[in-house]
Amino acid sequence: MIEVKHLKKSFGDVQVLRDINAVIEKGDVISIIGPSGTGKSTFLRCLNMLETPSAGDIVFDGENLTAPDTDLNKMRQKMGMVFQSFNLYAHLMIIENIMLGPTKLLGLSRTQAYEEGLELLRMVGLSEKATAYPDELSGGQKQRAAIARTLAMHPEVVLFDEPTSALDPTMVSEVLSVMRKLAQDGMTMLVVTHEMKFAQDVSTRVFYMDEGIIYEEGSPAQVFENPQKEKTKEFIQRIRKFNYEIRSADFDIYEMNNGVENFCIRHAIPEKQVYSLLSALEELIAMMIVPQLPPDNIQIDLSIGYSELSSSVTIELCYAGNEYNPFDADDDDLALKILGRRVRLTEYRYDTQNQLSMELKNG
Amino acid sequence: MLFTGFHMPNKKSKTKKLVVLALFLTLSACFATGCTSTDTGEIRDASGISTGRIGVMTGSIGEIYAEEKYPDATMQMYDSLMDSVLALSAGQVDYVITAYTNALTYKKSNGDLTYLPERLTDEETAIAIGKDNTRLLESINAVLTQFKEDGTLDDIITRWVKEDDSPYEQVDIPAVKGGEELKVAISTGREPMVFVQDNNYVGLDCELIERIAYELGMSVTYSDMSFSALIPALTSGRADCVISNMTATEERAKQVNFSHAYFSNPQVVMIRNPDYVSSKPWYESIKDSFIGNFITENRWILLAQGLLTTVIVSVLSATLGTVLGFGVCMLHMNKNSALSGIARVYIEIIRGIPVLVLLMLLFYVVLAGINIDPVLVAVITFSLNFSAYVSELMRTSIGSVDKGQVEAATATGFAKWQRFTLIVFPQAARIALPVFRGELISMVKMTSVVGYIAIMDLTKASDIIRARTFDAAFPLIVTAILYFIISTLLVSSLSRLEKNIDPKKRKREVKLDA
Repeated sequence: MIEVKHLKKSFGDVQVLRDINAVIEKGDVISIIGPSGTGKSTFLRCLNMLETPSAGDIVFDGENLTAPDTDLNKMRQKMGMVFQSFNLYAHLMIIENIMLGPTKLLGLSRTQAYEEGLELLRMVGLSEKATAYPDELSGGQKQRAAIARTLAMHPEVVLFDEPTSALDPTMVSEVLSVMRKLAQDGMTMLVVTHEMKFAQDVSTRVFYMDEGIIYEEGSPAQVFENPQKEKTKEFIQRIRKFNYEIRSADFDIYEMNNGVENFCIRHAIPEKQVYSLLSALEELIAMMIVPQLPPDNIQIDLSIGYSELSSSVTIELCYAGNEYNPFDADDDDLALKILGRRVRLTEYRYDTQNQLSMELKNG
Repeated sequence: MLFTGFHMPNKKSKTKKLVVLALFLTLSACFATGCTSTDTGEIRDASGISTGRIGVMTGSIGEIYAEEKYPDATMQMYDSLMDSVLALSAGQVDYVITAYTNALTYKKSNGDLTYLPERLTDEETAIAIGKDNTRLLESINAVLTQFKEDGTLDDIITRWVKEDDSPYEQVDIPAVKGGEELKVAISTGREPMVFVQDNNYVGLDCELIERIAYELGMSVTYSDMSFSALIPALTSGRADCVISNMTATEERAKQVNFSHAYFSNPQVVMIRNPDYVSSKPWYESIKDSFIGNFITENRWILLAQGLLTTVIVSVLSATLGTVLGFGVCMLHMNKNSALSGIARVYIEIIRGIPVLVLLMLLFYVVLAGINIDPVLVAVITFSLNFSAYVSELMRTSIGSVDKGQVEAATATGFAKWQRFTLIVFPQAARIALPVFRGELISMVKMTSVVGYIAIMDLTKASDIIRARTFDAAFPLIVTAILYFIISTLLVSSLSRLEKNIDPKKRKREVKLDA
């Protein structure tokens, strides 16, 4: 139904979309996920030409929207859009908001439009609010009304631009359930969202956007359970990272500890685990690795990762020098005994330098 | 078919409040008229005049006289004699020097004023005749001599120049039918010499010239003009003679010939009447003021015409100015920087010129060569002025409408004009209306300057009435109330519009098909 070919969009010198290619079929429910600032909303807004693409083609129902002679307004009528900030017409009652498009654009009589509008309001649970004004509604009610307004035009596809991002957390679910129902009824939808649960449960396909392209796409199962690419993985598992470089045997261990501690506080890692982590780091770096390295060439890169999804903490160490795996030491080595109680080795590799991956044990 | 939601109660009490306010204003006006004179010490004679406060009309004989005789006095110059008399009445000056007949008339219409019997000058009033028309001059002089001898002239003078309040005696003046025409130029408004009563030209001057014409076997035709136009009318041949309480001065005698004097009209000193006590209760004096200012000689018609002119100028200027302002606003918001620059310059220029200066510039300079109705010039001026303010108001209001809603309308497939008419305009109008109302009222009030280009609007009409009745307060207060009513009506009609576009005031019903 929609085919996007080599879509590019720049704002001044900043290239937001580098090369987007996608095919959207009828009945698709596509969740577009990805970190902030990767052009998800821009992509959506290019689809109905609210933003004019810098290059590329968007073919909708066989018509190229980027062609200069296309009747854009006609095409937009078939392509609904729901905004983050609702954008209800403030001077019109809710029912009038819904009736405006059908009466002025589709040629419906006011009575027909009114009855259809009421039907839609019933569907989104707002029939009591027909004669209310937008500012008398809560955020969740506003967004449901906005969805009803979009549906009144009988669109072939609805674009949702972060529909729940401006909502109070208590109101997110009422909007999501309306969208869920819509998806079940077979509506073609593109949803830019941060609601991972919704994306996982409702969508037929997921686009992970990063670096100005569709970085990875697939079924929710593929993207969420088995992401192929590193950035996708980090995003899906919501991994936060802390990096620290050690360049001398007399490095400032207090500074490092302080950084680690702040990182842990920010992500609400339990105090006991923080203590465990700090003690493991001290043991590993100061007692085991540093003495093994040539004193004039100390290069250790520390990276601590925290997954918000599984609340697991990972430690990665990368250091130069000869091949050395601290876990190969004798079983009765005191340092190793202490270390073993704190962490579990997940991987050790050596190519040009040592690479050590560990996971912090719980408790 | 109507779907009705909540009904907001209609606020009828607002109109009631306005009625009460108007009543209050009228009443306070009445009190003000009832007690205008303020006592500033009693003056019974001219003993203090050489150091006193003297009011005179600019360019009058009284001014020249006062400057020569009382150099130590404080002189107050007024543009019209009426203003100087009103100042005397209000206690702002203590003496007014003017001609005897003027003093007589003012004394009659304002019981609180009087004049001193001393004659300051000896001025002779005479008939002016064209320089080359010596035949007419001789004939008129012959008749005048005859009238003086047989007592006709004295009869005429006693009939018109009266110290008491009794009405003028009506006499039949014989007239020749179909005789040679005598074209007489007059300037009315000079009671008791020459003035309009019941739509006829009457007074001492008129009776005299009609009787002279009868003796000469001629029939009189009058043309009424401003005093300064009388002598030019004579020299250009459009009139045969001028009789209009005109003093035979040396300067005038250079251009015209004067007949024998027929009346002596010296300068006298007017003062406040020290013995004046208002005998009438306040409501009687209000009644008298009302009758004098509006009922006598149907003066209200003048006021009604002025009111109509003010309303026409205001409504046309508001309409055209709003339309023009919208155009300028669209130009200003144009992406083309040259077009928007033109609009910006236009706005700055129009806003930078005082509206009165703009009015006179258009009338006397820009449109000077074109034969154009002054009312039209006023409408153009105020439309231009209003458009500059309105366009800026519109621009800021349109700019303040939420861009997201426009975007939603775009995404729905509305064309650009639909986005404007359906989404932007109704909301911008709601934002703009309160300020627009203020601009409209201030524009209506600004139209009071159109008198400068000879339009008789409400202000000018009240000026004319004041000049006839020598009553400052009553016409001014009534004029103020009339302006207030115009503004209120305009505002309330706008408020009705506002009710329709303000969601909080509008009825919550959805219009459906019949």
